[in-house]
Amino acid sequence: MKIAIIGSGIVGLSAAYNLANSAEVIVFERRYPLYGSSGRNSGGITPMLGSKELIELAKKSIRIYDSVQGEVNFNFLLRKDGYLKVAKNDADLDELEKEYHLQKSMGVKVREVDPYEIKNMVQGFNPKSVEGGFFGEGGVIFPWPVIWGYEKGCKERGVEIKPMTQVSEVVVEGGEVKGLKANGEFYKADFVVNAAGAWSNEISKLAGVELNNTIIKEEICVLESLKPFIDPYILNVSNGVYLSQSARGEVVGGILGKEVSNPETSSSLDFLIKYAKRAVEMIPSLKGLSVLRQWAGVYDSGKDGLPVIGETNVKGFIQANGLGKYGMTIGPAAGELVAEVILKGKTYDKFSPERF
Amino acid sequence: MVKDRKIVCRCEDLTEEEIIHAIEEGYDDIESLKRYTGATTGFCQGKGCLMHILRILAQKTGKSVDEIGITTQRPPVNPVPLYILMEGEEE
Ligand SMILES: Cc1cc2nc3c(=O)[nH]c(=O)nc-3n(C[C@H](O)[C@H](O)[C@H](O)COP(=O)(O)OP(=O)(O)OC[C@H]3O[C@@H](n4cnc5c(N)ncnc54)[C@H](O)[C@@H]3O)c2cc1C
Ligand code: FES
Repeated sequence: MKIAIIGSGIVGLSAAYNLANSAEVIVFERRYPLYGSSGRNSGGITPMLGSKELIELAKKSIRIYDSVQGEVNFNFLLRKDGYLKVAKNDADLDELEKEYHLQKSMGVKVREVDPYEIKNMVQGFNPKSVEGGFFGEGGVIFPWPVIWGYEKGCKERGVEIKPMTQVSEVVVEGGEVKGLKANGEFYKADFVVNAAGAWSNEISKLAGVELNNTIIKEEICVLESLKPFIDPYILNVSNGVYLSQSARGEVVGGILGKEVSNPETSSSLDFLIKYAKRAVEMIPSLKGLSVLRQWAGVYDSGKDGLPVIGETNVKGFIQANGLGKYGMTIGPAAGELVAEVILKGKTYDKFSPERF
Repeated sequence: MVKDRKIVCRCEDLTEEEIIHAIEEGYDDIESLKRYTGATTGFCQGKGCLMHILRILAQKTGKSVDEIGITTQRPPVNPVPLYILMEGEEE
């Protein structure tokens, strides 16, 4: 059996990793493996999410990260110092409380924290900047070693990864996928997996299958390194600002993204101004730090906020996209589902490409 | 004996041997090498080391500096503190 996977982000590589022992797998990557949002994200990981399906995938993914690190002998720099969601007003805090009950019912470790407890948890936090929040399981992972580790594991298991190889055609005959064309060459395949992230809508069109994922652009920046003082990953759900400290001590932070019509990754001064205001409001002592680098990434989300995973009406053409703003959090488990779809013909109603 | 350490990236404290080692492990294009080693991502953002890195990569891979290309320059050109950015007008 031959499987062609388009895209070498977390989804494409974790799918390849799980398929490697059962099939001949080739991963096609237009640029290089860190080019997509899997190489551009902030690595926040938590099961403190808002739906049953996402919570399950997140819990499973954290377990997978723990075991894959050992299997491929690569350190993902996964730091489980917790995840903190804060809100600036009662309405947002109420939303967090609803999520909290669902999370609790599913066994997630999480508790409510008041602004002064947060101040004790994060040195320099301004308790007046928020109404309250929830603190629970989770932390930060460094996305680059995750991708390198999966890459290494895939190669050791016989997967071929082709960088700088753009897929330009998905070949379909009589409602069945036959293979694809990349860099002008034809590759025969029994299954073609669309794991192209923000470019998945375009790839789907090549197969004649409609996919209307939302495309989101998100900007992010890095401040100079400091001795570690921020333990948890912090997300302010009211203004979208988030930040955490990497294993290198750099403060990495951004603002949740907005819908765009096409994938495009330019960065803006307006983002830096907004980020500076919101981050300093939350942790005033950051104001003396300088921005070293900024960049942007694009990712895609299923219209209802859930991933799109499953076979389409073109036999052998598999969607594996739409992971949205939690792609790193749920990617490893999503990759396992893709393997189940292909190897066991499984379907998942909540993620089905046919559900819209 | 103290090993002769030839530092090529001062901000990230990287030696020529470390760069060569990474290239030999397969991180042999500039974008991967930069991310894998951290070279060019320190306080000066590569102003002090990009040319050294390119030279080593060219020597090891036999590619010309033009073929290797330079890494995407991420703004800002010089580090800007948040207290200055905060004074800006939001769109
Ligand atoms: C700034 C930012 C911060 C984020 N923070 C977090 C976070 O804290 N926690 C979290 O869980 N998630 C976060 N995310 C989301 C997460 O990064 C994504 O959901 C996830 O990386 C998506 O992975 P993917 O494999 O689907 O896509 P990608 O990683 O984008 O990979 C898709 C790949 O497909 C390739 N491709 C496209 N077209 C073609 C073609 N024609 N031929 C061959 N290859 C092609 C692309 O080059 C790309 O490499 C963040 C995202 C951004 C941008
Ligand atoms: S010398 Fe390498 S980043 Fe400054």
